[in-house]
Amino acid sequence: MRVILAEDSTLLREGLVRLLLEEGHEVPAAVSDGQALVAAVDEHRPDIVVVDVRMPPTHTDEGLRAALEIRRRRPEVKVLVLSQYVEKRYATELMSSDVEGVGYLLKDRVGQVGDFLDALERVAAGGAAFDPEVVRQLLARTTQVDPLAKLTAREREVLERMAQGLTNASIAQELHVSQSAVEKHVNSLFDKLNLSHTTGYSRRVLAVLHFLES
Amino acid sequence: MRAAVEGLRLGAAVVLGTVTALAELLFLLFTLPFLGNPNVWATARRLARLEARRLRLDLSELDALTEGRGKRAGGYLATRVPVGILGGLVLWLLWFGLSTGVRLAAAWGRGEPFDGMVPSVPLVTYLGVAGFLGLFLVLSGVAGVHALERRLARRMLGPDPTQALQRRIAELAESRAGIVAAVDSERRRIERDLHDGLQQRLVALSMLIGRSLRGRTELMHQAHQEAQQALAELREVAWRVYPSGLDSLGLGEALAGVAERSSVPVKVDCRLEERPPMAVETAAYFVVCEAVTNAAKHAGATLITVEVHEEGPAVVVRVRDDGSGGAQASGGGLSGLARRVAALDGRFEVTSPAGGPTTITAVLPCG
Repeated sequence: MRVILAEDSTLLREGLVRLLLEEGHEVPAAVSDGQALVAAVDEHRPDIVVVDVRMPPTHTDEGLRAALEIRRRRPEVKVLVLSQYVEKRYATELMSSDVEGVGYLLKDRVGQVGDFLDALERVAAGGAAFDPEVVRQLLARTTQVDPLAKLTAREREVLERMAQGLTNASIAQELHVSQSAVEKHVNSLFDKLNLSHTTGYSRRVLAVLHFLES
Repeated sequence: MRAAVEGLRLGAAVVLGTVTALAELLFLLFTLPFLGNPNVWATARRLARLEARRLRLDLSELDALTEGRGKRAGGYLATRVPVGILGGLVLWLLWFGLSTGVRLAAAWGRGEPFDGMVPSVPLVTYLGVAGFLGLFLVLSGVAGVHALERRLARRMLGPDPTQALQRRIAELAESRAGIVAAVDSERRRIERDLHDGLQQRLVALSMLIGRSLRGRTELMHQAHQEAQQALAELREVAWRVYPSGLDSLGLGEALAGVAERSSVPVKVDCRLEERPPMAVETAAYFVVCEAVTNAAKHAGATLITVEVHEEGPAVVVRVRDDGSGGAQASGGGLSGLARRVAALDGRFEVTSPAGGPTTITAVLPCG
């Protein structure tokens, strides 16, 4: 697929470009700030952009603002955001714009090449990918809030992986249980969370995260 | 000898003080109907300044000479007139005693009686002791009048102790707030150092390893080099956070390290007899560090000279560069330094005309 990168660290940008080329993707442009990213997207129409949150000139949230603008102008372009820290506000801002095909990863995750590439594929396919760490923190912040507190430990594990955008099959694989067991957990946790049962897994993620946000 | 000169000078000051007291008395009597006229106050202030000079006081400590309308100076003149006249009386007593002694000695020298007295051993002894005692008392009186004058001037022209305390408290509050701000901005810088440098390197490194695990084994070499780079970067960042060598090696060595790492030639001349307190050393180090970085980064300097030496109870740090000048003392780095120096009650000056050269001076009291 066609990927555009926005990352201000030359070292990392070059590394990412090489990795993506090795994996057989196309990289029509790799830029180092938000404005250039918006322009490059207009010019090259990529399938997905990978964007760092903190970029020049202010090193605060340029990347994120560029990502939101791209989502607004070209909803067909998928966005994978790389963030320095877990920024709950950014994560929810990205997801609140009624989206499919967004991802929010911690920057360090790029080093785990396999995970990063999987997340990229998932987002490009219209799914979602949220960093396990992001999900863990979002869950941790809401432990005092019912009804999440009603979940069993196993249901919580399933929910975390679900929020990362995994399918039931991959959750079953990860937890070393059968897929039907996972489906049972999913049903019971949806019941507990009063969420309507949907099939598209990215919608599941959004529902879960919206719930966490509430 | 020096004591004699000092004594003569003091005597002259008291003599002069008597004359000015009479002049000021006339001035006060003459201007009494015009009190409140600004010119009168201004003249009073000028007279008070002359008095302060006569008493050899530090004019910068006497705020009544510069601030306000001169009312306090007028009050001071009114108060010092009697003291000046007292000085005159003491001087008259001195003159009277000395002239009597001289006339007595002259009469007895010619073999004539003085005031019906004929010299005899008990009488000469008695008069000698009494004369010496009298002289001592009168000279003490002269010194006393002078000391009284000085105290009076300080008290009435100097800042009110409560005000001085309030000013000091305001200063301290400001420098305390400044230090907190400086610490915060340092921390921001450290975070950025870690994020922009080291973390990117480590992510890039784990990416290289990840790629080589996916079958590109030849990348291991590069990953190894990248790891070395990351280590070097870590050392740099840690050193920028706090130069650990400063504690063990002292300021001179640490500054030599700064010179080595600078991209622009730096000449260091560090002359300290003994090691200053830790806080002073650290502040001096950071002043030099920041100034050298600025000169290399913004001024396009080709040579930077660093001088560190003792001046009395203070350490003076001076950094000069031949760059383009125009450094702003209010800029991020320099204002942080100014706060650091202010927290030690030091002075911090930046002179940087457009076109250069730039000189940054910090005076850090040790004690």
